Amino acid sequence: MKDFIGLRAIRGAGYTLLLLLEALGYINHAWKRRRALFTQMHVIGTQSLAITCFFMLLVGMVFALQTGIEFARFGQTSLVGLVIVSAMVRELGPWMTAFVLIARVGSSMAAEIGTMKTSEEIDALEVMSINPVSFVVMPRLIGYAIMGPILTIFGTLVGVAGGALVANVQLGVPLDDFLRFAERGAEPLDIYWGLLKSLVFSLCAGAVACANGMRTSGGAVGVGRASRNTVVVALTLTVFLNYLLTSFYRMVKRLVAGIL
Amino acid sequence: MQTEESSTEALIDSTPMVEFAGVCKSLGNRKILDQLTFNVKRGETFVIIGYSGTGKSVTLRNLIGLMRPDEGSIRVAGEEITTMSNKELEVMRRKFGVLFQSGALIAWLDLFQNVELPLLEHTKMSRRKRTEIVQQKLELVNLWQDKDKFPAEISGGMKKRAGLARAIALDPELVLYDEPSSGLDPVIAYEIDKLINRLRDQLKMTQIVVTHDMESAYTIASRIGMFYQGGMLQIGTPDEIRTSEIEEVQHFITGGREGAVSRRSTTAIMKGRSPTFSARLEAGRGVEAAEPSGDAAPTIMELEPESSPIDPENKP
Ligand SMILES: Nc1ncnc2c1ncn2[C@@H]1O[C@H](COP(=O)(O)OP(=O)(O)OP(=O)(O)O)[C@@H](O)[C@H]1O
Ligand SMILES: [Mg+2]
Repeated sequence: MKDFIGLRAIRGAGYTLLLLLEALGYINHAWKRRRALFTQMHVIGTQSLAITCFFMLLVGMVFALQTGIEFARFGQTSLVGLVIVSAMVRELGPWMTAFVLIARVGSSMAAEIGTMKTSEEIDALEVMSINPVSFVVMPRLIGYAIMGPILTIFGTLVGVAGGALVANVQLGVPLDDFLRFAERGAEPLDIYWGLLKSLVFSLCAGAVACANGMRTSGGAVGVGRASRNTVVVALTLTVFLNYLLTSFYRMVKRLVAGIL
Repeated sequence: MQTEESSTEALIDSTPMVEFAGVCKSLGNRKILDQLTFNVKRGETFVIIGYSGTGKSVTLRNLIGLMRPDEGSIRVAGEEITTMSNKELEVMRRKFGVLFQSGALIAWLDLFQNVELPLLEHTKMSRRKRTEIVQQKLELVNLWQDKDKFPAEISGGMKKRAGLARAIALDPELVLYDEPSSGLDPVIAYEIDKLINRLRDQLKMTQIVVTHDMESAYTIASRIGMFYQGGMLQIGTPDEIRTSEIEEVQHFITGGREGAVSRRSTTAIMKGRSPTFSARLEAGRGVEAAEPSGDAAPTIMELEPESSPIDPENKP
């Protein structure tokens, strides 16, 4: 019973949730720890900007190309703008950015905290009566939660630009046409929704990474395991949450449309 | 007036700084601490020696409250810490300075910031005052010129010295050291020993030192406790330990050159087997200092180690 895998997963999930809440409870320490927070925002945000943009550019390009081929069969290639924008703003932007961040930031965050744990740094903090959740976890989590949505904005813009480029050069859609349809791809509510999703993904991935780091045991092997678990769990969790959130959003939108 | 003061002082001094009584702790399936009992008086330097991997660090972790014992009581300055809430522990820990085995410096802070950290977190000192204290502590361990280096850029011994500077930044009443001199060259190891003695003599700090280094143990110890199979096999002054008649103690302090340890014990040491209270009693034939009196004790103590049928895994 003790080693029953489901039980361990539940315990891990419980710990992660509690850690998330505890870290958010220390948000009033953010000013005191602003230096750590800025460092984390730099590591998570600024340093991930290039790879996120590169990634999203190519996602946008491939997406435009593929949808363009299909639309061309019906002579509707100018519709790519609409599809790209709506997909980018609501789905691809938030989730693909989360994906990049989990791979680039989540894994290393877990490894970093895991190393602190195995090298007694976390213990040392506790002994000095410095709460490790406030000192280590909170700046990372808040940094993640701030930079996730900001990177999503950049990623989405670049993704749409990539789509426009392909539409113009390879599919022969004039930029005017592209933009005309693009405008109809997303309303303000969709944009806020996309950013909210990104915030949720960031908090989830950040909490999973920190929790795995804090629960590391067993030296270098343990650190490797924490990093691997983080990527697997965070990806699974965000992709699943994404589905739930999208379903929920659709339901709400239909309800609202019905009322109006 | 003068006499009154000194008499209250004596009263305070008479309560031990640290009291372990019958502490047991199992990790995994092994009983690491088994009826561990010892006291540390105020102002003394208590040195814990013992074989590697037997539970000396675990003892310290229980004392700091990073682990909670399964049984028994641990008192610090008369206050029971095993039942403290995390909040109470946090307050209690401000009296502690701890030097971890690997230094445990925060990786993204340089040495100056590492030593400054406790001051920054727990005091409202001005920047100038903080700098002054950090400089004083870092100079004490000969690291002021390296204050801008990060932990990854310095050697193991330097990390340890920086860890020591951090541990004493707030002038704690009780300082715990986990192998302060391992990984240091003899000269610096001796410097650390002198530092420990200075902290005892000048600042009246109570100190508990875990070490493998007998040379250093003799230099710094007020008393030495030999940790063996989960408890204290013998506690005594450096001279008492040096002239100990217990074979296991002789075996340890002479690095195996003297004191034929029974085959059973050696195997147990090498295999890192579960220590048992009874086996320890047996080894410590007649040494009462460290042992709580147990009912089964007298009969066991008469057994010859070689002929002992007791399996170290099972208590009788
Ligand atoms: N968190 C833990 N979980 C399980 N077992 C542990 C844990 N910490 C320590 N142990 C085990 O307890 C035993 C004692 O460990 P400890 O670190 O106290 O040894 P030590 O006496 O300090 O040795 P050394 O002198 O080499 O530092 C070891 O066998 C170790 O495997
Ligand atoms: Mg140890």
